[in-house]
Formats: sequence, structure tokens, C-alpha cells
Amino acid sequence: MRIVAEELNYVYSEKSKKLAVHALNGVNLTIEAGDFFGIIGKTGSGKSTFVQHLNGLIPTDSKHGKLTVGEFVLSNKKCDYKALRAKVGMVFQYPEYQLFAETVFEDVEFGLKSFYPNLTKEEKEVMVKTAIETVGLNYEEIKDKSPFDLSGGQKRRVAIAGVIVSKPEILVLDEPVAGLDPQGKKEFISLLHTLHKTTVKTIIIVSHDMNLVAENCNKIAVFCDGKVAKVGTPKEVFTDYENIKKTGLDLPLIAFLTQKLQEKGIEISTNLTLENFIKEVFKKHEEVKAKQREGGNR
Amino acid sequence: MEKILKVENASFSYDKQNKVLKDISFEVERGEYIAIIGHNGSGKSTLAKLLNGLLVADSGEVTVANFSAKDKKSLFEVRKRVGVVFQNPDNQLVASIVEDDVAFGPENLGIERKEIGERIDFALKAVGMEEFRKVSPTRLSGGQKQRIAIAGVLALKPEILVLDESTAMLDPQGRKEVLEVVEKLNEEEKVTVIAITHYMEEAVRADRILVINHGEIVMSGTPKEVFARAEELREIGLELPPVCQIVSGLIKKGLQIEKEILTEEELLEALCELLQKN
Amino acid sequence: MKDVSFGQYYPTQSFVHKMDARVKILLIIAYIVGVFLVASYHFLGFGACLLFVIIATIFSNVPFSKVLKSIKGILFIIIFSAIIQIFFNKSGKVIWWIITDEGLLNAGFIVARITLIVLGATLLTLTTSPVEIADGIESLMSPLKYIKFPVHEFALIMSIALRFIPTLLDEIDRIIKAQKARGADFESGNLFKRAKALVPVLIPLLISSFRRADELADAMDSRCYAGSKNRTRYKKMHLTYRDLLGFILTAGLITGVVFLNGFYVLLVI
Repeated sequence: MRIVAEELNYVYSEKSKKLAVHALNGVNLTIEAGDFFGIIGKTGSGKSTFVQHLNGLIPTDSKHGKLTVGEFVLSNKKCDYKALRAKVGMVFQYPEYQLFAETVFEDVEFGLKSFYPNLTKEEKEVMVKTAIETVGLNYEEIKDKSPFDLSGGQKRRVAIAGVIVSKPEILVLDEPVAGLDPQGKKEFISLLHTLHKTTVKTIIIVSHDMNLVAENCNKIAVFCDGKVAKVGTPKEVFTDYENIKKTGLDLPLIAFLTQKLQEKGIEISTNLTLENFIKEVFKKHEEVKAKQREGGNR
Repeated sequence: MEKILKVENASFSYDKQNKVLKDISFEVERGEYIAIIGHNGSGKSTLAKLLNGLLVADSGEVTVANFSAKDKKSLFEVRKRVGVVFQNPDNQLVASIVEDDVAFGPENLGIERKEIGERIDFALKAVGMEEFRKVSPTRLSGGQKQRIAIAGVLALKPEILVLDESTAMLDPQGRKEVLEVVEKLNEEEKVTVIAITHYMEEAVRADRILVINHGEIVMSGTPKEVFARAEELREIGLELPPVCQIVSGLIKKGLQIEKEILTEEELLEALCELLQKN
Repeated sequence: MKDVSFGQYYPTQSFVHKMDARVKILLIIAYIVGVFLVASYHFLGFGACLLFVIIATIFSNVPFSKVLKSIKGILFIIIFSAIIQIFFNKSGKVIWWIITDEGLLNAGFIVARITLIVLGATLLTLTTSPVEIADGIESLMSPLKYIKFPVHEFALIMSIALRFIPTLLDEIDRIIKAQKARGADFESGNLFKRAKALVPVLIPLLISSFRRADELADAMDSRCYAGSKNRTRYKKMHLTYRDLLGFILTAGLITGVVFLNGFYVLLVI
């Protein structure tokens, strides 16, 4: 499913002149099926408002621009939100706080009941089992436990299972690694890549963590003042130093280092991952050494 | 130097069986900036609660400026001296107006009206929030709320400021604001700081790092000393700060680079030296 | 969700803002009594009350729109009570279908009464911070201490509750969105179904409230809270000439209402 937003607008408290806040000011953005997409921007830049449009949590209409997600036309009044939400999963910040049921099984099953009411008990069981196993948990061990007895990391995984159980094609995650320690963060990121390879076509993450998006996304959109200030690969986005500065964001560490080195006349081309940067520095060093030897020989 | 805080052989368990803290001992000097790092569930937040008597050690002793946190009579003397700022800014503000919230602590101590006013002035100024005195905290950003929480603690004139993951729920901007305030307090007001965190970048600034794992202190030393032990850190679920990761990666590749680099600037300088052609 | 103006303090400098919270609370009580004193069908008395609200608003520096907005929140209740009066009051002369003149008058009467009371109460919360209200109530209730009523704790609970209303509204909004994203449906079905649909919202809300309460207790303990004993107050309440003026105005209002009521009775005779 492809997401296309054209001149999308949104105003909070639109009817009141004084309180009206323009959250989106004509967003134009295309997210292709299969992307591991990053959305960045300062607090209040409109990025959360935008993603909440994608599954109709914030409804839109034809007066506020155009928004299509796959075959769903969200700016059309007759859009079937329920069917849409089954296809566009959304994981909010600290999703573990939305757990409510008595057992892990019931909690994960919750979405199926309303999305696909005609499923048989057996069919549901298979889907719940798949979802729980996909997030890396042991189904038999965990299904009858209370979600509140689990560890923080496990709770978050159960919450994700509760979203992917309806087999969404797009998964949106808001600050997915907030509150996790380094080890937990690493494991969670690798879970996201597994999901991307096996279960959901498109992953969209919204985050303040520049290093996270720079190292993991194939494409990034920068939001600023309710508009998309820049779209491109991490390299394109983070080497456009002027633009990043204008949006008030920090550069990811590697981009910061390459920029500063460039200012000193040292060009290093990297894809912004740590490993790649180390490799490139090493390469550059070899070049410099070779040149010095040449110079010495002359 | 004067030892302001002493933790001696402190152990603690919530259920009398599984020890969350095992025989912890360390001392803190007045004016020091200490970082305590460990993964989630390592016991570091429990330790924070031990430091001002919210929890009392099953065995062992915590003393602050010679007042025992165990003793009910001296508990207030301890809490007056150890201010704790918690993780969620929303859950530690009691009042609907900033100045009323900052006044809460001094009011509890029975301080006279006029002095409370002066303490509010001082505390709000120290965190750079003077102009928000009459505002409702719900209108503030996360970083600003957390600065008010710090002001609320400062109004008690503490000698030690404990930050229990106080930046974990903030955006980068908010995190920067809070860290700047804390650093300023440490440098200018000579407040002793104990920062409990799992953000390695925040530990870089400390005078000393304590690494805690399964309720025990497993490493202790300056940031340079601790971050030199990358392998051990990784084994207990911690990562080096990104700058140190780059340095250790380059060293592994056989490049000649200063081992004890901690900050971005230092790294940049070293890289320039390494790659400059001449 | 965030448009709740009832109970939101409007920070500014004004005559009314500077008045003693205790006096304001007493005056509002007197005002409400005044509104209730207005005899049936007698709208002049309401006029006096309205004038009082207008004068008070002018002296409070709060925009009229802010005060009026409070009615929006209870519009449903007002309309509902008016409808009941219009359609179910059987006494009086029938004007049209089942609608009687008395029903119409009663409806107007009730609408005026509720509106005036809410306007007055809103003015109090707009000009008095929750802490001041809580302190004021605590002070007014302090005689109850002699019968061992925990006045201080009661006031503290109240001010903390007020402080957390916006935080919890935000939280509810977030949980509702999260469950909607998982297919929850809060808009369709009968009453029973809708009530059941709220379970996935209420349980996370309850759990998070307990967590908040726990953390808040720790934060309060850390700041040396130990009940009302030996506690001082930063905001001291003291009476000024403003309070006297407020008193005179309110006394005038009530006399006016009573007088107008009497005047009306005389007219009828």
C-alpha cells in the first residue's frame, strides 16, 4: 500500500479564531510500499498529527487536501475506517500502557474481534499464536499469563503483537525505543527489521532519535512548521546541513563528524552507520598514508 | 575532601527473598558529579530511593552528612539534604501554579513566609524559569516541567541532587535544557550530583561512574577508566557512548588514535590529525 | 478534550483576582442563594444577578467570551431541563399542542437559574487558582478540626485532584486513540455495548493512575511532606478593602433581589 498526501492541511480548534493552531500546512509526501520510513522533526512540527491521519484517528475531508492509503481515499467521507485500521497498524509511545486484558491471549486477540468478527475460534487462535511468536515470545509459555506480570520489554512486545495480529501492511511506531536500555533498544530494533522482512510491508517510525533513523531507515522526511522540509535517503537529508539547521534538529553523530571534517577539507562518504564510518575512515587513512609515501619517494 | 554521603554494605529486597541490592558500598565527596549506570532492572532506581530514606536498607547503612536515613528522627534531616528528581515530570508536580509547587517543600519544613518567597526566587532563577512563576505547569514542555521539578527540590536547599532517570521521558531539546541546568548547579552552586541513567552520553560528563549490575557495583572509576572496559560493559547489557564506539572500532582496525577520547570535539581533533594530508 | 474552561484559572492581575479566596467563596455562596431567592416568573431579580456577574467580570479583567464559554460545557443539561419543563409541565393554559404558558415560563426560569449559577461559579474558578480555592475552603472549614475532621488532608486531596485533571484528560485521549487504532469502537451499539467498550480504556487509565499516585507520593515524601503539622503557608490570606467592597456589592445584590421580589408581590396585589 502506497501513502500519498497532497496539500494536506489540519487545524486544531479550527472554528475558534484565537485558539486555532495550524498543525499541518500543506503536507506533500509519498511513502512507498516496502519503505522503512523515518519521520523526524521538533516537538510541535506536525509529525504526530500527520501520522494520526494515516489510520483516520484524525479524520480529514476534501477541503483539507488529499490523502490516500492504498485503495483507501481518506479525504472521502465514505472511507471505511475499520477496514483501514486493520491494514494500518499504529503503535503509540509506551504502548505497554494500553494493555488491559486478563491474559496475554485476550489482549492480543482484542483487535481481531472487531476487525474480523466472522473468524472461527481456531482461526483466531492461529493468528494470535503467529503474532505472539513473530514478536519473539513463547506462545505456550506466555498466553495465559497476565500481561501485568511481564517485564517491561515483554509488555512492549505483547502490545506490538496486539497490533500486528490483524496483519497490517503498514506499521506506524511513535518513539518505539523510548525508555529501553541499550540492550533492549538493540533487540527491539532488530525485531523491527524482522517484522519488516517477514510480516509488514511498510514500517514508519516517528522519532527524536536522529541516530536511530539515520542508521535504520531507507528514507526520511523532515517535518517543520507543519510542512515537509525535506525528503530523501538519510544521506541526502543529513548532508543537507543548511536545511537541517533551519529545522532546528541536531545532526546524527556521524553526519556531524563528516560535516566538520568536510569543513577542514577532508571528504568522507558514508551511509551514516557507525560500521561504515569506521570503514571509510580507515580507507581514507590508507589513502593519506599512500600519498605521504608517494610524496616521500619523490 | 568531606564525604557528604556514605553507603555502607547496604542490601535491600522487596520480598525478603530476592535481593535487589547486594552489599553496596560507596562514598561521595561534596561537590562531586557521580553517574550511576546500569540496565533496566539492575537495581539503580531502588538505590536512588535508599539515598533519601524512601526505602530503608534491610542491612547496612546510608548516612548523609552524619545523619542516618534509617533513623526516623533524622529522616527529615536526610531528605532536606538529598533532593530527588524522578523520571516522569507530570507525576511530581503537586500544584497547579509553578510558584505554589516550588513552595511545597519549604512549606513542609515550616519555613517562614518571607523566606519561602526568597527561596522561590532563588530556585526558579537557578533553573532559568523566573518568567513562568505564575503559569500552570500543564502549559509547559517536558523539559520545562522537569526544570520546575528541579526548582521544587532546590527550594529545600539540598546538598545532593539525585536525578533518577530524569531525562528519560524528554525530547532532545528538553534533555539538553535539564542537563545544562544540572551542570550549572554543580559548577556554580557546588551542588553534589548523583545522576542515575542508562544514557551513556550523560555519564561522560561525570567525575566518576559507578556501574551497577544485578544489585552490585561491578565497576567504578572515571569515565575514561570505565569506558576503556568496553567488552565487560557489553556483557552486562550496556553500550559505550557512540563516540567511544567509533574510537574502539578504529583502534581495532589498527589505527593509531588516542584511546581515552570521550567527547565529539576530542574525536574530531583526533580524526583531523589522522587524516590531514601533509 | 482540552476545551474544558470550567475550572481553568485565567492568570492576570485584577481587583477580583486579588480578593481573598475565602471571601470570594462566601460571596459566591451568597450569590447562589440570591439566585435561588428570585421568586418564580420574576425576571427582574435575574436581571440584578446578571448585572452583578457583569460588574464582577469587568473588575476581573477576564474576557466575557471566557466566562460565557463555560455555558457551552453544560448546554446539554440546560436544554434537557428546558425540554422537560416545556413538554411535561401540565399546569397552566395550553398555548400549542401540549405546551403550556406555565411550562414555557418555568423553562425560561430554570435556564436563567442554571446559567447564572454556572456563570458565577466560573468566575470564581477563573479568578482564583485551584490552590487558593483549596486553601480558602480549608480555612473556612477549619472549625471542623475540633470534631477531628481532616481538613488539611481534604484540601490537599482537592488541589491535587484539580492539578491532575488536565493530565488525566490527555491520558484518556491517548488511550482512546491507541485502542481505536486496534479496532475499538466507542460510537456504535446500544448502551450496554458502549459501556463494555470502555473497559479497554478504563483499566489502563486505572493502572496508570495508581502508578502516578505512587510516584507522586514518593515525590511528596522526598520533599519532606508530613501532614499539616508544623507546616507554613506561602500564600497567606488577608482581608483588604477589596473584600469589603465585594461584600457591599453582594449585600446590595441580595437586598435588591429581595426588594424586587417584594415589589413584584405588591404589584400583583
